[in-house]
Amino acid sequence: MIGDDVRIVVVAVDRDTVKLGIEAPRTIPVHRSEVYEEIQRTNRAAAGEPAAAPEGAKAPAEGAKIADLGGKGRKPPAKS
Amino acid sequence: MVDTTDREITAELPRFGTCTYRESEVLTFPWGLPGFASLRRFIALNLEGQERFVWLQSLDDHSVALPTADPWQIFEDYSPHLPPYAISSLDLGNPEDFATLCVVVVTAGAAEMTMNLLAPIVVNLRTRQARQITLETGGYSVRTPIPRKAPAATAGA
Repeated sequence: MIGDDVRIVVVAVDRDTVKLGIEAPRTIPVHRSEVYEEIQRTNRAAAGEPAAAPEGAKAPAEGAKIADLGGKGRKPPAKS
Repeated sequence: MVDTTDREITAELPRFGTCTYRESEVLTFPWGLPGFASLRRFIALNLEGQERFVWLQSLDDHSVALPTADPWQIFEDYSPHLPPYAISSLDLGNPEDFATLCVVVVTAGAAEMTMNLLAPIVVNLRTRQARQITLETGGYSVRTPIPRKAPAATAGA
């Protein structure tokens, strides 16, 4: 158990492989760390880490204004 | 009368130059943004002539800005199923209340662009709170290639 409501269970043991299951309340996000790390890497790549950014590639672009998010991406969540 | 609760703020941004925004336009990421866990406050910016993209510009670290876009303008049949924790933590009652943005990665030289369909950023437009949500279903990829042709040109394909 982790805390009061998260359980780690062994789902299967097969020679050199152990499958673990995590039971947690639906309000807690549970993800494999590889997935989370991939999202971290992708976000950093999108922002262009200083080390990865080509030198002097971009001068400041003038004319940036606050985006109107209200007109974008309004999509009802898929029904379960 | 000066409205002190929603004052205008001017920032000098390395990528975008001088930019003015209002306190009420700030987006907060109370749970952080993966890869930038300590950054909480962002503004969403459009560049002239590039309205397809929304830049999430950090206010805590001006050197950080991520390009994002509305996924449906490229992937019309995208259907993210938000897990319950996302709906409850962001208080997404009314579908009209929120916007969805997906992070775009542009490779060096802009030869290729990919979109993170696995983890959309969902924004509650009423509370201005946002969170990047990892989808549990749908089999989406963090780096889905964006077709080079404009979506309108390939519609129906």
